[in-house]
Amino acid sequence: MNEFVETLLDLPWQVGDPKPAYDVVIIGAGGHGLATAYYLATRHGITNVCVLDANYIGSGNSGRNTTIIRSNYGIPESVAFYQHSLEMYQQLEAETGSWIMHSTKGQIWLAHSVSTARTERTRALMNEACGAKTDYIGPDEIKRLCPQIDLTGGGRYPVQGASYHHEGATARHDRVVWTYAQGALRNGVHVFQHTPVTGLLKDGDRVTGVQTPKGNISAGVVLSAVGGHVSTVAGWAGVRLPIRTHALQAFVTNAYAQEFAPIVSSNDLVFYISQTPRGQMLIGAEYDRQASYRTSTSYSYLQACSAKATTLFPFLSKLRILRSWAGICDVSTDFSPILGHTGVDGLMISTGWGTWGFKAIPAAGEQLAELIATGTPPPLIAPFGLDRFSKEAAMADPSSAGTR
Amino acid sequence: MSRVVYDGAPIEYAQGDSLAVAALRSGQHPARGGTLCLAGDCGNCVAIVDGTPWVRTCQTTARAGTVVKRHPNGSHPSPGGPEQHARVAVRHRSADHVVIGSGDSGMAAATAARAAGDDVLVLDAGDGNEVIGVFDGPTIVVRTADGVHQIHAHHITLATGAAELHPVVPGNTLAGLYTAKAAAAVRVAGIDLGRTVTVGAELVAIRGEGTVSSVELADGTTHECDSVIIELGSAPRDVLARMAPMVPVTVVGPAAAAHALPPCPKEGVLCPCGKITVEDLDGVWAKGFQELELVKRSSLVGVGTCQGGMCMPHLRAFVADRSGTIPEPFTARPAARQLTLGEAAAGYHIDTFRRSPLHQEHLALGATLDKFGGWFRPWNYGDAVAEYWAVREAVSLGDVSTLGKMIVSGPDVVEALERLYPNHVHDIKVGRSRYVLILNERGHILDDGMILRDAEDRFTLTFTSGGASTAEMWVRDWIETWGLRVHVLDRTVSHGAINVTGPLAAELMRRAGVSDDDRPKFLQHRRAEVAGIPCHIMRLSFTGETSFELHHQIDGSVALWSELMELGRPLGIKPHGLQALFGLRTEKGHIIVGQDTELDSSPRRVNMDWAVKLDKPWFVGREALLRTATLPDERRLFGFTMDGPAPYEGSVIRVRGEVVGHVTSSWDSPLFGKAVLMGWQKRLPHADVVEIDGREAHVSTVPFYDPEGARARN
Repeated sequence: MNEFVETLLDLPWQVGDPKPAYDVVIIGAGGHGLATAYYLATRHGITNVCVLDANYIGSGNSGRNTTIIRSNYGIPESVAFYQHSLEMYQQLEAETGSWIMHSTKGQIWLAHSVSTARTERTRALMNEACGAKTDYIGPDEIKRLCPQIDLTGGGRYPVQGASYHHEGATARHDRVVWTYAQGALRNGVHVFQHTPVTGLLKDGDRVTGVQTPKGNISAGVVLSAVGGHVSTVAGWAGVRLPIRTHALQAFVTNAYAQEFAPIVSSNDLVFYISQTPRGQMLIGAEYDRQASYRTSTSYSYLQACSAKATTLFPFLSKLRILRSWAGICDVSTDFSPILGHTGVDGLMISTGWGTWGFKAIPAAGEQLAELIATGTPPPLIAPFGLDRFSKEAAMADPSSAGTR
Repeated sequence: MSRVVYDGAPIEYAQGDSLAVAALRSGQHPARGGTLCLAGDCGNCVAIVDGTPWVRTCQTTARAGTVVKRHPNGSHPSPGGPEQHARVAVRHRSADHVVIGSGDSGMAAATAARAAGDDVLVLDAGDGNEVIGVFDGPTIVVRTADGVHQIHAHHITLATGAAELHPVVPGNTLAGLYTAKAAAAVRVAGIDLGRTVTVGAELVAIRGEGTVSSVELADGTTHECDSVIIELGSAPRDVLARMAPMVPVTVVGPAAAAHALPPCPKEGVLCPCGKITVEDLDGVWAKGFQELELVKRSSLVGVGTCQGGMCMPHLRAFVADRSGTIPEPFTARPAARQLTLGEAAAGYHIDTFRRSPLHQEHLALGATLDKFGGWFRPWNYGDAVAEYWAVREAVSLGDVSTLGKMIVSGPDVVEALERLYPNHVHDIKVGRSRYVLILNERGHILDDGMILRDAEDRFTLTFTSGGASTAEMWVRDWIETWGLRVHVLDRTVSHGAINVTGPLAAELMRRAGVSDDDRPKFLQHRRAEVAGIPCHIMRLSFTGETSFELHHQIDGSVALWSELMELGRPLGIKPHGLQALFGLRTEKGHIIVGQDTELDSSPRRVNMDWAVKLDKPWFVGREALLRTATLPDERRLFGFTMDGPAPYEGSVIRVRGEVVGHVTSSWDSPLFGKAVLMGWQKRLPHADVVEIDGREAHVSTVPFYDPEGARARN
């Protein structure tokens, strides 16, 4: 058996169909849903929990993202939240005994103009003040960290400087999903694949459970951890969300020797690149302008990304594109997540994960579990409630999304 | 015979040989082992060709001097260092009907389509047309020896045939294994395969050291040989049909035929690209990864060069055996054949930065140019402080050609502008102007600019440089939505603008031939010749000093600029760049939308409620402002002063140790001898004294400079 297979932990599936009732039913067995179940079980002893997925575990955006973990956000609330998540990722292998292929690489966020240099310096200063390790660095240091870069940017995008996020990291997305699935299952949580939720059960204004082809399941709390079709789920409860859903494409090349150490993003060119543990160069950029639930990819995207990436990294021009794909991103109007109460009793939500959901899986799961267990939003996620939009307290942070 | 260099040694090839066949001719496996299909299906012949790794040598024709290197054993090839971009040509072609595959079924489909009057294009990898993907459009992207072709088609017929199965048995990574068609092709090329054995499903194992020496069959017999010819049946090559679900593709011939799955493999490498074995699959299955997608993701089967082309039938057979259900193949994604990033990038133009009509003048004056809002703009001309003093004490020119400029006219124009802007418009008199915000539906600041009334039914509008394109769409969209009779003429790039600013600006205008009568007063505007160039002269001020914005057709920009510089010389004129301008306007407390505002900044947050008239019946954003007006709002933009040096823009602002916001604008004011700043406090109660960069800063009223505005009106 190869190392990748040998190191996998078992998925101890339970046998049979869902019970008629659980304390908590979570819709969506991606990273967020499974992490919440895991922390409910391990931190709060709440194990009468069922996680349902329309497809297989991790079949949505948890398995379609570009696996980047970072906390270099632009507002204090976000820096604190994502830094906590980043630190939880650093500890996840020790806690679970599961190899998620976590690798601290450092992220260089390039600026090619005075105005974007201001943005990157602002990011560094805000990060440093709020607990994330980010410095503003100059071209020499950038070249030292990433010798493959053409600092002239093909003549058109000369590199002025960058924010350098020391703890930027990657982990294998699927293995994060499976780690939480394994941990949840081991602790008695029920996880059912290929069990789509088709509607919500209601008693008056209160949500009391979910409808599935395997029968109705009642629940003390229903948490939507759905990616993509969250507006549909919220709509069943009469909740309108400030969410638009867009496809985000990415692609990998064939595998090459490990020579590209950091994660590099460009503020002006809007793309990012890293090398996966398997040696592939992974490249992404902004999400599609057109709102859509489709996951097909376009040639124009490959063209644009390739043009941008080769402008800064000429060595890429001889590398070969292996596979492109897309995930669908629920983008909130302020580019921050929406977590917790929905205003409808019995229904909670974890959404607005846009292009930044993967990095938040541990912290969001842990914090939502605490909210479900205690009924009160913990301070780290309190600013990210849905009610912020009606309170003139949005968490606007567009320049941290790494896309636009 | 000519020669190529293969792994450091010259080898001879025959005209028309692929590199793989050339390697075989010299007695070598083109890579390090594995069944060869010589049809582009598998990844068993990949090598580094002329510096490019992962090239299928069976699809690459040998040319004199080609240098081939095998991938390193047991590891991946180096991605290489900095290199020049290779120039790749791009061709756009179109056809009524594209047939992919020129075998019998393809040619039959092409003949039928031609008979029906279609313009038909036949693409075949064997003819040098590797189809890398079918995309929405439909667009077919093809890699050829002379570049990348994008073919736009109405109909697509896939006639790509079937790929021969590779064996999954112990020893299947040795050299000397050929599919039946590959063996035939090798023989046609005149290469001796030595002692051959032809085997099918009865094959149990292949033995040898590096190269095959014998095979074991199910009946227990062993057969010595130099080459093994594999006849295990085939599987459809239909990935292109499954790649773009919205694009209808007609599949014909063997690609469309039903193919039985092979028997479930028992032992050996199942995925040759990733060297994933049947044992690996058993491992993940036993651990609970029990459906095709989970098997793929957990074992990484099928994600290599051939993207499942070789392993898919065996993988499906494995899952069918273990689960009792035959699974669908996993999703087909581009690229079906791999093109390089250099090839993909070809023909793509990254957004260009626009150049002002005065670009060359700035360069001649020694300007450092920077990219702002999609334009190249002078950041400074070497000494921002000297440029600052020229504005404050003498006269200076600033190139503001980048501002958004628009003429709107028509019978409904006042109504349209009243709806677009939160300020009053109807009471702006002809020849007068007004500063305005633009809000979105959420009541957040989208842009700002000026409204200048040219006539009862005609206005000139200006927008910020960075916001001009959005504003143009914004104005057009709304006017179209409302169905109002308004004509919109965008003049952002057809007109240049030069800001003449400073206490001697009026004097310079006089010297440029503008009579005192023609010189507009503050917030007035009129049309007159300046130095012989017809101009729309606007009296407004961003710098805080007397300013004349001279809007003109770009063919006059250079003459106007040069003449003003010449006439201003005795007055001590200097041009100023953005660095000085940003300092000048910070002293005046004028915000820059996007720098001092955030995505969700309402006028209230930036202390600009004065620019909003809620008594108007309707304007974009009014409902939102009415809803939020009574809500508590912690966030406010403040002016601050502190001792220099000015902290970096972006420095955090703390109150009693807590981060409450950050500095948005910061400037070491030469006039005040201290730093003047703008920045956010986002926590109540707002403090009068804050900490920035470890130092004390004090909230200050803005403008810092000339709060009465006397100098701009002068």
